[in-house]
Amino acid sequence: MKEIAKKIFGYFDERFELENLVHFMSKKYVPVHRHSIWYYFGGVSLFFFIIQVITGILLLFYYKGSSDLAYESIKFIMSKVEFGWLIRSIHSWSANLFILSMYIHMFSVFFEKAYRKPRELTWLTGAVMFLMSLAFGFSGYLLPWNELAFFATKVGTDIVGAVPFVGETLKYFLRGGEDVTGATLSRFFGFHVALFPGIFTLLLVLHLLFIQRQGISEPMHSEKSEEEKKTMPFFPNFMLRDLLLWLLVLNLLAILAVFFPAELGLKANALASAPAGIRPEWYFLFMFQTLKLIPGHVLFIEGEVLGILLFGVVGLLWILVPFWDRKSSRGIRNRMINYIGIAAIVFIIILTIIGLM
Amino acid sequence: MKLFNRNLLYILLTVIASPLILFATQDQCFTCHNDLGDNASNLFKEDVHYKTGLSCAGCHGGNSNSDDMDVAMNKSQGFSGVPKQNRVSETCAKCHSDTSFMKKYNSKISTHQLESLQKSVHGSLATNGKSMIVQCTTCHNAHGIKKVADPRSPVYPTNVPQTCSKCHNNAGYMQTYNPSLTVDQLAKYRTSVHGKLNANGNSKTAQCASCHGSHDILTSKDVRAKTYKLNIPKTCSSCHSNKSYMKEFAIATDQHDKYKNSVHGKAVFEKNDLSAPVCNDCHGNHGATPPGLESISKVCGTCHALNAQLFSSSLHKKVFDENKYPECETCHGNHEIKSATEKLLGVSEDAICSKCHTESKNTKGYFVAKKMRRLIDNLQIADSNAKNSIFLAEQKGMDVEEAKFKLRDIHQSKLEARTIVHSFEEKKFKEVIAKGNTASKQVITEANAAIDQFYFRRYGLLIATLVITILIISIYFYIKRIEKNQ
Repeated sequence: MKEIAKKIFGYFDERFELENLVHFMSKKYVPVHRHSIWYYFGGVSLFFFIIQVITGILLLFYYKGSSDLAYESIKFIMSKVEFGWLIRSIHSWSANLFILSMYIHMFSVFFEKAYRKPRELTWLTGAVMFLMSLAFGFSGYLLPWNELAFFATKVGTDIVGAVPFVGETLKYFLRGGEDVTGATLSRFFGFHVALFPGIFTLLLVLHLLFIQRQGISEPMHSEKSEEEKKTMPFFPNFMLRDLLLWLLVLNLLAILAVFFPAELGLKANALASAPAGIRPEWYFLFMFQTLKLIPGHVLFIEGEVLGILLFGVVGLLWILVPFWDRKSSRGIRNRMINYIGIAAIVFIIILTIIGLM
Repeated sequence: MKLFNRNLLYILLTVIASPLILFATQDQCFTCHNDLGDNASNLFKEDVHYKTGLSCAGCHGGNSNSDDMDVAMNKSQGFSGVPKQNRVSETCAKCHSDTSFMKKYNSKISTHQLESLQKSVHGSLATNGKSMIVQCTTCHNAHGIKKVADPRSPVYPTNVPQTCSKCHNNAGYMQTYNPSLTVDQLAKYRTSVHGKLNANGNSKTAQCASCHGSHDILTSKDVRAKTYKLNIPKTCSSCHSNKSYMKEFAIATDQHDKYKNSVHGKAVFEKNDLSAPVCNDCHGNHGATPPGLESISKVCGTCHALNAQLFSSSLHKKVFDENKYPECETCHGNHEIKSATEKLLGVSEDAICSKCHTESKNTKGYFVAKKMRRLIDNLQIADSNAKNSIFLAEQKGMDVEEAKFKLRDIHQSKLEARTIVHSFEEKKFKEVIAKGNTASKQVITEANAAIDQFYFRRYGLLIATLVITILIISIYFYIKRIEKNQ
């Protein structure tokens, strides 16, 4: 077995000079410290993205992106296509876990202040990818064209419509008309399988390229000297650990897909009344719940508009943190960032729990 | 003498002071017109109003005390001549809608007749676009009006059919109002039990007004109408369930009670099902009569067409006719028809077949009935098994929608079996049952496949998890090993 592997490696090495690559990777080192565990969530997010691409392509073989056939095609995938149920369930669970791991990865980078100079652009590409992962979730949610998705999209695009000045135009653009129709499904399908993956891949390449060039960020204020700092080779140590975690995650994904397969519900019917207790996916829930809790009018401004503006401003500040957190860039401890991060986590968790109740 | 003169003076003064008084001792209008011998005054002599002392002026206005035509028929005296259009009914209503006035005559007549008439189908606008279709005089006549209880009255029960048919038998006239309405009601009515008794002078038997009402007649499409489909059982039972009223006719009075508990009655009373039959669907309406023995299957067959057709071409038809058994009724009853279940079939005590077929009498039918019952019982078991398999698969969270849809084929087979049983042919019955059994087998196969798939997924997961876990452990030890050597 070992001999065969060696022969195969030799075959490729002869042609592509793989030995150089292995040598290059083995010379790359990853810092080892008590927060090293958070490094792995970038890799886990990448793994989920790969799963999404693979299962998404498989689903594309049978999925039909029109309001007449979308629901039926998913039904066909779930009941007739060999392992179709597994592919769709994995795609659905992986989407959720992808966003969860993106959240964890983003917050860990935030708390570690790894966005500080010179890694501002790495943070920026990551933040845009995070927003895109939410957009992936929103557009993909409509594709089965079931009742819940239909009304959730209606509510979601209505919220977009409340954005001052550009809201109505944006809503019209997203819906492909006045209302959520087959035209909305067609463009959401286009966004989900062509536009978003294209942009995301580009950003991902940039993100990885930046990491390759700049290396992995080390924690601030390490008391240890350069000699005392522990590291591990990227290859094979870190990669093998990454692989181990990916396999663990794959196991979890398989268990979730088998025990809790993705549901389909009833086909969307524009003439039917909205089902009771309609709410968005969990990752949008804290925003949705906040908008619900804000009074109808606050002073001279509509509650919903105020909420959207607040989220917009906070989101923008969050994305631009490397540019206003000067202290961290200068290597000075900035506890305020930690407090903001903790407040954001507490806010998200509490509002999500309220929304789920 | 002086006293007499004073009294006379009072009387004269009273008469002079009340020129519009309706009941005068001397009706000068009538006196003159009677002398002229005109038809109106001739008829008025027999009029109920004349007999109670009402004068011509009561309806026509004017001064009935004056024998001077110019005074009596002067407009300044309130003379209005012959009332036209709605003025006719309004003139009648002047008194008939006045409760205090009618009280003077100890009248028990309702004072809402005009109101009812206006709201009725006859109260809608006539083709002239000015008045109601029907006025009081249309049915009651103008001069010579008799009490309803007077056999000479056009609205006396035995005269009602003729009175209504004055218009309703006139095709040309009826066409101007309702071209789809038939004009043969009277002819049909005369063929009915009601019509025959009525023609023989029986005033208790139902006539037009008994079912349709009098002043308040509504179209049968109107849910308030006595003849609206869902109200018909109540309308018929107002007489037919009244024991004392029906005493002289010597027929049962429990039809309504029985019907109420029947499958048809429940559909009508509990589900408001307009497609379910009410009294007139089997008995007819204007020509109401119990269906004859041979025609029962035809009557039931208007709805249960296949059953009737199969029965009519079966062996039983001949036997039933020979023995004068009422067709459908022999097995299903009449007013109290219960929902037909498998229990009717077979040779058990509660089965209908065993009434005529026993092991020693009419034996062929006995064995066929026994076999048919066994077949349908087996189909019932097959249906339960199929449903159970679906239940088990669904409990495991599997999608068995298609198989579930096929359950309908079993149900359809059961329905068909209930129909084909009326052919009393074992072969045909078997074919129908076989369809259900095949469908049941398919459902069970598909449901079991779904259950197998469930276990396949579980075992597949177990194997995949084991493989992945072994890989994880291997990698873990591999990492340990290489890190030890580094």
